[in-house]
Amino acid sequence: MTTYEDTAAYAPEHTPRLNWAALAPDVFKAMLRLDAAARQGLDARMLELVKIRASQINHCARCLDMHTKDALAAGESVERIIQLSAWEESAHFYTEKELAALELTEAVTVLTDRFVPDAVYDRAAKHFEEAELAQLIAAIAVINAWNRFGVACRGEVGHYQPGQYK
Amino acid sequence: MTARTQLLDPAVAKAMSALSAAAKKGLGDPALAELVVVRASQLNHCAFCLDMHLALARRHGVPERQLDLLAAWEEAGDDVFDDRERAALALTEAVTVLTGGTSQAFGSGGGFVPDEVYEAAARHFDETVLAHLVALVVAINNWNRVMVARRIPPGGYTP
Repeated sequence: MTTYEDTAAYAPEHTPRLNWAALAPDVFKAMLRLDAAARQGLDARMLELVKIRASQINHCARCLDMHTKDALAAGESVERIIQLSAWEESAHFYTEKELAALELTEAVTVLTDRFVPDAVYDRAAKHFEEAELAQLIAAIAVINAWNRFGVACRGEVGHYQPGQYK
Repeated sequence: MTARTQLLDPAVAKAMSALSAAAKKGLGDPALAELVVVRASQLNHCAFCLDMHLALARRHGVPERQLDLLAAWEEAGDDVFDDRERAALALTEAVTVLTGGTSQAFGSGGGFVPDEVYEAAARHFDETVLAHLVALVVAINNWNRVMVARRIPPGGYTP
Protein backbone atom coordinates (compact mmCIF):
# COMPACT_ATOMS: atom_id res chain seq x y z
CA MET A 1 0.00 0.00 0.00
CA THR A 2 1.23 3.46 -0.82
CA THR A 3 1.29 5.71 2.22
CA TYR A 4 1.60 9.46 2.51
CA GLU A 5 5.18 9.05 3.75
CA ASP A 6 6.10 6.76 0.87
CA THR A 7 7.27 9.58 -1.40
CA ALA A 8 9.45 7.18 -3.42
CA ALA A 9 6.22 6.17 -5.14
CA TYR A 10 5.51 9.76 -6.22
CA ALA A 11 6.07 11.05 -9.73
CA PRO A 12 9.50 12.61 -10.28
CA GLU A 13 9.92 16.31 -9.57
CA HIS A 14 10.27 18.54 -12.63
CA THR A 15 13.25 20.84 -13.02
CA PRO A 16 12.81 24.60 -13.50
CA ARG A 17 12.63 25.76 -17.12
CA LEU A 18 14.20 29.16 -16.84
CA ASN A 19 15.95 30.99 -14.00
CA TRP A 20 14.35 34.29 -15.01
CA ALA A 21 15.31 36.21 -11.88
CA ALA A 22 19.02 35.61 -12.55
CA LEU A 23 18.69 36.12 -16.31
CA ALA A 24 16.72 39.35 -15.93
CA PRO A 25 17.93 40.94 -12.67
CA ASP A 26 16.43 44.37 -13.45
CA VAL A 27 13.05 42.72 -14.03
CA PHE A 28 13.33 40.85 -10.73
CA LYS A 29 14.31 44.02 -8.89
CA ALA A 30 11.30 45.86 -10.34
CA MET A 31 9.02 42.97 -9.32
CA LEU A 32 10.27 43.12 -5.73
CA ARG A 33 9.74 46.89 -5.60
CA LEU A 34 6.29 46.52 -7.16
CA ASP A 35 5.33 43.80 -4.69
CA ALA A 36 6.43 45.94 -1.74
CA ALA A 37 4.60 49.02 -3.07
CA ALA A 38 1.33 47.22 -3.81
CA ARG A 39 1.21 45.66 -0.34
CA GLN A 40 1.18 49.03 1.48
CA GLY A 41 -2.04 49.77 3.33
CA LEU A 42 -3.57 46.33 2.87
CA ASP A 43 -4.43 43.86 5.62
CA ALA A 44 -1.76 41.14 5.50
CA ARG A 45 -4.13 38.32 6.43
CA MET A 46 -6.62 39.26 3.71
CA LEU A 47 -3.82 39.67 1.19
CA GLU A 48 -2.63 36.08 1.67
CA LEU A 49 -6.15 34.85 0.92
CA VAL A 50 -6.19 36.97 -2.24
CA LYS A 51 -2.80 35.57 -3.29
CA ILE A 52 -3.83 31.97 -2.66
CA ARG A 53 -7.09 32.37 -4.59
CA ALA A 54 -5.42 34.01 -7.61
CA SER A 55 -2.73 31.30 -7.58
CA GLN A 56 -5.44 28.61 -7.57
CA ILE A 57 -7.19 30.17 -10.57
CA ASN A 58 -3.89 30.57 -12.43
CA HIS A 59 -2.73 27.07 -11.46
CA CYS A 60 0.60 28.30 -10.06
CA ALA A 61 1.99 25.49 -7.92
CA ARG A 62 5.03 27.45 -6.77
CA CYS A 63 2.86 30.37 -5.62
CA LEU A 64 0.46 28.03 -3.80
CA ASP A 65 3.41 26.42 -2.03
CA MET A 66 4.67 29.81 -0.92
CA HIS A 67 1.45 31.53 0.05
CA THR A 68 -0.28 28.68 1.83
CA LYS A 69 2.87 28.20 3.92
CA ASP A 70 3.12 31.95 4.59
CA ALA A 71 -0.54 32.07 5.57
CA LEU A 72 -0.18 29.11 7.94
CA ALA A 73 3.00 30.58 9.44
CA ALA A 74 1.13 33.86 10.06
CA GLY A 75 -1.53 31.95 11.99
CA GLU A 76 -4.21 31.51 9.30
CA SER A 77 -6.53 28.55 9.90
CA VAL A 78 -6.24 25.41 7.79
CA GLU A 79 -10.00 25.53 7.32
CA ARG A 80 -10.02 29.01 5.75
CA ILE A 81 -7.25 27.97 3.36
CA ILE A 82 -8.94 24.70 2.37
CA GLN A 83 -12.30 26.38 1.81
CA LEU A 84 -10.88 29.11 -0.42
CA SER A 85 -11.52 27.38 -3.73
CA ALA A 86 -15.22 27.16 -2.78
CA TRP A 87 -15.46 30.48 -0.90
CA GLU A 88 -18.84 31.40 -2.38
CA GLU A 89 -20.34 28.35 -0.71
CA SER A 90 -18.33 28.72 2.46
CA ALA A 91 -18.90 32.46 2.93
CA HIS A 92 -19.33 32.07 6.68
CA PHE A 93 -15.60 31.41 7.05
CA TYR A 94 -14.77 34.93 5.82
CA THR A 95 -15.62 38.55 6.60
CA GLU A 96 -17.79 40.55 4.18
CA LYS A 97 -14.73 42.59 3.33
CA GLU A 98 -12.67 39.47 2.56
CA LEU A 99 -15.49 38.14 0.40
CA ALA A 100 -15.61 41.37 -1.61
CA ALA A 101 -11.84 41.14 -2.05
CA LEU A 102 -12.04 37.51 -3.19
CA GLU A 103 -14.75 38.32 -5.70
CA LEU A 104 -12.72 41.20 -7.10
CA THR A 105 -9.67 38.93 -7.21
CA GLU A 106 -11.50 36.47 -9.42
CA ALA A 107 -12.87 39.17 -11.74
CA VAL A 108 -9.47 40.85 -12.17
CA THR A 109 -7.73 37.49 -12.65
CA VAL A 110 -10.11 36.05 -15.24
CA LEU A 111 -9.85 38.99 -17.67
CA THR A 112 -9.75 36.86 -20.79
CA ASP A 113 -13.30 35.64 -20.12
CA ARG A 114 -15.13 38.76 -19.00
CA PHE A 115 -14.90 42.41 -18.05
CA VAL A 116 -14.64 43.20 -14.28
CA PRO A 117 -18.42 43.61 -13.72
CA ASP A 118 -19.89 46.75 -12.12
CA ALA A 119 -21.59 44.72 -9.39
CA VAL A 120 -18.27 43.21 -8.34
CA TYR A 121 -16.43 46.52 -8.41
CA ASP A 122 -19.24 48.31 -6.56
CA ARG A 123 -19.32 45.69 -3.82
CA ALA A 124 -15.57 46.06 -3.33
CA ALA A 125 -15.95 49.85 -3.31
CA LYS A 126 -18.44 49.53 -0.43
CA HIS A 127 -15.86 47.78 1.74
CA PHE A 128 -12.66 49.52 0.66
CA GLU A 129 -12.10 53.25 0.49
CA GLU A 130 -10.75 54.49 -2.84
CA ALA A 131 -7.00 54.46 -2.11
CA GLU A 132 -7.20 51.07 -0.40
CA LEU A 133 -9.17 49.70 -3.35
CA ALA A 134 -6.52 50.98 -5.78
CA GLN A 135 -3.92 49.11 -3.70
CA LEU A 136 -6.03 45.95 -3.73
CA ILE A 137 -6.32 46.12 -7.53
CA ALA A 138 -2.55 46.61 -7.79
CA ALA A 139 -1.93 43.70 -5.40
CA ILE A 140 -4.21 41.40 -7.41
CA ALA A 141 -2.31 42.37 -10.57
CA VAL A 142 0.99 41.67 -8.82
CA ILE A 143 0.12 38.15 -7.67
CA ASN A 144 -1.07 37.53 -11.23
CA ALA A 145 2.38 38.65 -12.34
CA TRP A 146 4.17 36.24 -9.98
CA ASN A 147 1.78 33.48 -11.10
CA ARG A 148 2.78 34.09 -14.73
CA PHE A 149 6.49 33.93 -13.96
CA GLY A 150 5.95 30.81 -11.85
CA VAL A 151 3.95 28.92 -14.46
CA ALA A 152 5.82 30.10 -17.58
CA CYS A 153 9.27 29.44 -16.08
CA ARG A 154 8.03 26.39 -14.13
CA GLY A 155 9.61 27.37 -10.83
CA GLU A 156 10.44 24.63 -8.35
CA VAL A 157 7.66 23.59 -6.02
CA GLY A 158 7.62 22.31 -2.45
CA HIS A 159 10.86 23.71 -1.09
CA TYR A 160 9.64 27.06 0.17
CA GLN A 161 10.28 27.92 3.82
CA PRO A 162 8.04 30.62 5.29
CA GLY A 163 9.82 33.93 5.49
CA GLN A 164 12.77 32.94 3.32
CA TYR A 165 12.38 36.00 1.06
CA LYS A 166 11.47 38.45 3.80
CA MET B 1 -16.93 56.38 -20.40
CA THR B 2 -15.50 57.67 -17.18
CA ALA B 3 -12.94 55.87 -15.07
CA ARG B 4 -14.09 54.08 -11.93
CA THR B 5 -11.05 55.48 -10.18
CA GLN B 6 -7.93 57.19 -11.44
CA LEU B 7 -5.99 56.32 -8.30
CA LEU B 8 -2.81 54.31 -8.64
CA ASP B 9 -0.13 54.66 -6.00
CA PRO B 10 2.88 56.49 -7.51
CA ALA B 11 5.30 53.88 -6.12
CA VAL B 12 3.24 51.12 -7.78
CA ALA B 13 3.13 52.99 -11.10
CA LYS B 14 6.87 53.66 -10.96
CA ALA B 15 7.73 50.00 -10.30
CA MET B 16 5.36 48.88 -13.08
CA SER B 17 7.05 51.28 -15.51
CA ALA B 18 10.48 50.00 -14.42
CA LEU B 19 9.31 46.43 -14.99
CA SER B 20 8.05 47.20 -18.51
CA ALA B 21 11.19 49.19 -19.39
CA ALA B 22 13.53 46.42 -18.19
CA ALA B 23 11.56 43.79 -20.10
CA LYS B 24 11.51 45.79 -23.34
CA LYS B 25 15.19 46.63 -23.11
CA GLY B 26 16.14 42.98 -22.59
CA LEU B 27 13.95 41.85 -25.49
CA GLY B 28 15.70 44.37 -27.72
CA ASP B 29 13.09 44.36 -30.48
CA PRO B 30 10.59 47.25 -30.11
CA ALA B 31 8.39 46.12 -33.03
CA LEU B 32 8.06 42.57 -31.71
CA ALA B 33 7.47 43.98 -28.22
CA GLU B 34 4.46 45.95 -29.49
CA LEU B 35 3.03 42.91 -31.30
CA VAL B 36 3.23 40.94 -28.06
CA VAL B 37 1.76 43.75 -25.98
CA VAL B 38 -1.11 44.39 -28.40
CA ARG B 39 -1.96 40.67 -28.57
CA ALA B 40 -2.08 40.33 -24.76
CA SER B 41 -4.23 43.47 -24.57
CA GLN B 42 -6.64 41.95 -27.11
CA LEU B 43 -6.95 38.79 -25.01
CA ASN B 44 -7.49 40.80 -21.84
CA HIS B 45 -9.88 43.25 -23.55
CA CYS B 46 -8.00 46.34 -22.38
CA ALA B 47 -9.23 49.32 -24.42
CA PHE B 48 -6.76 51.80 -22.95
CA CYS B 49 -3.82 49.48 -23.60
CA LEU B 50 -4.93 48.71 -27.17
CA ASP B 51 -5.30 52.38 -27.98
CA MET B 52 -1.87 53.16 -26.56
CA HIS B 53 0.04 50.22 -27.98
CA LEU B 54 -1.48 50.28 -31.45
CA ALA B 55 -0.19 53.86 -31.66
CA LEU B 56 3.23 52.73 -30.43
CA ALA B 57 3.25 49.74 -32.79
CA ARG B 58 2.70 52.06 -35.75
CA ARG B 59 5.42 54.35 -34.50
CA HIS B 60 7.82 51.42 -34.32
CA GLY B 61 7.01 50.46 -37.90
CA VAL B 62 4.87 47.37 -37.33
CA PRO B 63 3.14 46.83 -40.72
CA GLU B 64 -0.59 47.62 -40.87
CA ARG B 65 -1.19 44.15 -42.31
CA GLN B 66 0.24 42.54 -39.17
CA LEU B 67 -1.91 44.74 -36.94
CA ASP B 68 -5.01 43.93 -39.02
CA LEU B 69 -4.41 40.18 -38.76
CA LEU B 70 -2.92 39.95 -35.27
CA ALA B 71 -6.07 38.58 -33.65
CA ALA B 72 -5.96 35.71 -36.17
CA TRP B 73 -2.17 35.30 -36.41
CA GLU B 74 -2.28 31.50 -36.43
CA GLU B 75 -4.51 31.46 -39.49
CA ALA B 76 -2.77 34.39 -41.13
CA GLY B 77 0.15 32.18 -42.10
CA ASP B 78 3.91 32.54 -42.09
CA ASP B 79 3.94 35.06 -44.93
CA VAL B 80 2.39 37.55 -42.49
CA PHE B 81 4.11 36.50 -39.26
CA ASP B 82 7.46 34.72 -39.44
CA ASP B 83 8.35 31.72 -37.23
CA ARG B 84 10.05 33.87 -34.61
CA GLU B 85 7.02 36.13 -34.32
CA ARG B 86 4.70 33.14 -34.23
CA ALA B 87 6.72 31.54 -31.42
CA ALA B 88 6.55 34.80 -29.45
CA LEU B 89 2.80 35.18 -30.02
CA ALA B 90 2.08 31.58 -29.01
CA LEU B 91 4.04 32.11 -25.80
CA THR B 92 2.21 35.40 -25.20
CA GLU B 93 -1.14 33.64 -25.44
CA ALA B 94 -0.08 30.74 -23.21
CA VAL B 95 1.29 33.03 -20.50
CA THR B 96 -1.77 35.29 -20.69
CA VAL B 97 -4.49 32.63 -20.58
CA LEU B 98 -3.50 30.79 -17.41
CA THR B 99 -7.04 30.61 -16.09
CA GLY B 100 -10.05 28.47 -16.85
CA GLY B 101 -10.08 24.75 -17.07
CA THR B 102 -11.93 22.71 -14.51
CA SER B 103 -9.62 19.94 -15.66
CA GLN B 104 -6.08 20.64 -16.78
CA ALA B 105 -5.64 17.02 -17.84
CA PHE B 106 -8.51 17.24 -20.32
CA GLY B 107 -7.59 20.69 -21.51
CA SER B 108 -10.94 22.28 -20.76
CA GLY B 109 -9.74 25.79 -21.43
CA GLY B 110 -7.04 25.82 -18.79
CA GLY B 111 -3.51 26.91 -19.51
CA PHE B 112 -0.23 25.53 -18.27
CA VAL B 113 2.20 27.03 -20.81
CA PRO B 114 2.60 23.76 -22.73
CA ASP B 115 6.05 22.32 -23.38
CA GLU B 116 5.71 22.63 -27.15
CA VAL B 117 4.90 26.34 -26.86
CA TYR B 118 7.79 26.97 -24.49
CA GLU B 119 10.22 24.91 -26.56
CA ALA B 120 9.28 26.67 -29.80
CA ALA B 121 10.02 29.99 -28.11
CA ALA B 122 13.30 28.61 -26.69
CA ARG B 123 14.39 27.69 -30.24
CA HIS B 124 14.04 31.29 -31.42
CA PHE B 125 15.20 33.23 -28.36
CA ASP B 126 18.24 32.63 -26.18
CA GLU B 127 17.60 32.23 -22.44
CA THR B 128 18.24 35.84 -21.51
CA VAL B 129 16.01 37.22 -24.24
CA LEU B 130 13.36 34.61 -23.43
CA ALA B 131 13.35 35.65 -19.76
CA HIS B 132 12.69 39.23 -20.88
CA LEU B 133 9.99 38.14 -23.32
CA VAL B 134 8.18 36.34 -20.50
CA ALA B 135 8.66 39.45 -18.36
CA LEU B 136 7.13 41.64 -21.07
CA VAL B 137 4.05 39.41 -21.25
CA VAL B 138 3.81 39.55 -17.45
CA ALA B 139 4.22 43.34 -17.45
CA ILE B 140 1.48 44.02 -20.00
CA ASN B 141 -0.84 41.59 -18.22
CA ASN B 142 -0.20 43.68 -15.13
CA TRP B 143 -1.09 46.94 -16.92
CA ASN B 144 -4.14 45.30 -18.51
CA ARG B 145 -5.44 44.36 -15.04
CA VAL B 146 -4.81 47.72 -13.48
CA MET B 147 -6.44 49.56 -16.40
CA VAL B 148 -9.46 47.27 -16.89
CA ALA B 149 -10.25 47.02 -13.17
CA ARG B 150 -10.23 50.83 -12.84
CA ARG B 151 -11.99 51.16 -16.24
CA ILE B 152 -9.56 53.71 -17.59
CA PRO B 153 -11.03 54.95 -20.88
CA PRO B 154 -9.04 54.73 -24.12
CA GLY B 155 -7.64 57.87 -25.64
CA GLY B 156 -5.66 59.20 -22.71
CA TYR B 157 -2.35 58.33 -24.32
CA THR B 158 -0.49 60.51 -26.83
CA PRO B 159 2.74 59.07 -28.26
